[in-house]
Amino acid sequence: MSISIHTSISAAVYENENVPKRDERRKALLGVRGLRKRHGERLLFDIERIEIATHSAYVLTGINGAGKSTLLRVLGGLERAEIDSLRFDTEDVLRVHPYPRALREAIVYVHQHPILFSTSVAHNIGYGLQMRKLPQDEIARAVEAAMAWAGVTHLQGTDPTKLSGGEKQRVALARARVLQPKLLLLDEPTSNLDGAAREQVIELIPTMVEAGSSIVIACHDRDLIGLPGVQRIKLRDGHLEYR
Amino acid sequence: MSLPLFDTTLHAFALLFSGDPALWAIIWVSLKTSVLGLLLAAPPAILLGYVIAMYRFRGRRIAIWLAQAALSLPTVLIGLLLYLLLSRSGPLGDFRWLFSQPGIVFGQLVVALPVLLAFTLAAVQALDPRYAETAVALGASRRQVMLRVLYEGRFGVMAAVLSGFGRVISEVGCALMVGGNIEGQTRTITTAIALETSKGEFAQGIALGIVLVTLALLMNGALMLLQGDAHVARNRG
Repeated sequence: MSISIHTSISAAVYENENVPKRDERRKALLGVRGLRKRHGERLLFDIERIEIATHSAYVLTGINGAGKSTLLRVLGGLERAEIDSLRFDTEDVLRVHPYPRALREAIVYVHQHPILFSTSVAHNIGYGLQMRKLPQDEIARAVEAAMAWAGVTHLQGTDPTKLSGGEKQRVALARARVLQPKLLLLDEPTSNLDGAAREQVIELIPTMVEAGSSIVIACHDRDLIGLPGVQRIKLRDGHLEYR
Repeated sequence: MSLPLFDTTLHAFALLFSGDPALWAIIWVSLKTSVLGLLLAAPPAILLGYVIAMYRFRGRRIAIWLAQAALSLPTVLIGLLLYLLLSRSGPLGDFRWLFSQPGIVFGQLVVALPVLLAFTLAAVQALDPRYAETAVALGASRRQVMLRVLYEGRFGVMAAVLSGFGRVISEVGCALMVGGNIEGQTRTITTAIALETSKGEFAQGIALGIVLVTLALLMNGALMLLQGDAHVARNRG
């Protein structure tokens, strides 16, 4: 139900003449050549190329243990891998480990089970902006807007340990969205949710693409895979297949 | 018939509440040197504990082994080594710290360092790695990640500081060898207890023991109050 409602919202946005058509605004965002990850002697994956375009959503599928989460963590700069070359937003990235600051600020990774800092919901959402040393009033405005977007305004003073799984996931999405990342990497965002909590999270994802981010989602969720305009990538036997 | 222990304890309380200047001077020297030593040891020890816990580097396992082994070092041996370092002919002799309060502070620093380091290391290692990863993923710099991780592990770090305080306030070997147990200058609670007991003067020893136990109860009570039900909530979350 909620997905179909959201689909109509997405369509309305794309049909708005003030917003460029999806294909017109797409260009290369991330290009990786030769990405290999080993766990000891075992080669987890050996990927010839990865191409992520701007304003696009991808779902990354594959059986359990295929390396989906690891691939997202590598792209998020959290895990080391052998990379022949990496190009981000028309710039060649010469130093991959660790990512340079500009890349760390442009790519945001969200855990499958997000962890919230032991402060308040509002502080959690504003954390990344504080790290970027933005003025406090600007942070407050952005946090307020992000909380309204994620439907967590009523939770702003709540102890994060008292939130449900769905609420934590929405706070984590708001914490990522407020940074307006160029690339957002979501690891199984609905895997531990069901019912209304799952639908609420699914509703939020397309609006992030509309706001200007590209998204890669590792998941098995059929509703996420079936979202309109989402491209499928499959990680199988250590290789990527675009569909 | 009165019990000697009961009488001595009564006498000890009388000494404490009478405001005996010699007794309170000992307590003041102990507190001052312990707190100063701890304050000087805490920043490098917490930083080192964090670095060893968070980063993978050659020799890391050896560093952990040494940090944990240092916990078992008898303070009297630390005192002996510092005595040799600080004595006139020693490499640090020019400082003239032997048998002085700065010497005791230096000794307490060395005694506290391994406790603070090993406990901080354990506290950071026990913390969920997603805290650091989340900070990195949200664009934090290395320094910002460290501050966030230490904040999330603050109760463990506070426990490390309290354990360090417990070790320095209660150790006798190092304070005796480096301080020299000089009345009014370098006599600490523990060196005074050892001396008074050897003289058969138990009341002052018991009075100082009461101070030590009270300090231990107060410090640990304060930590429990600060922690609240955080550990319960974290386990649930």
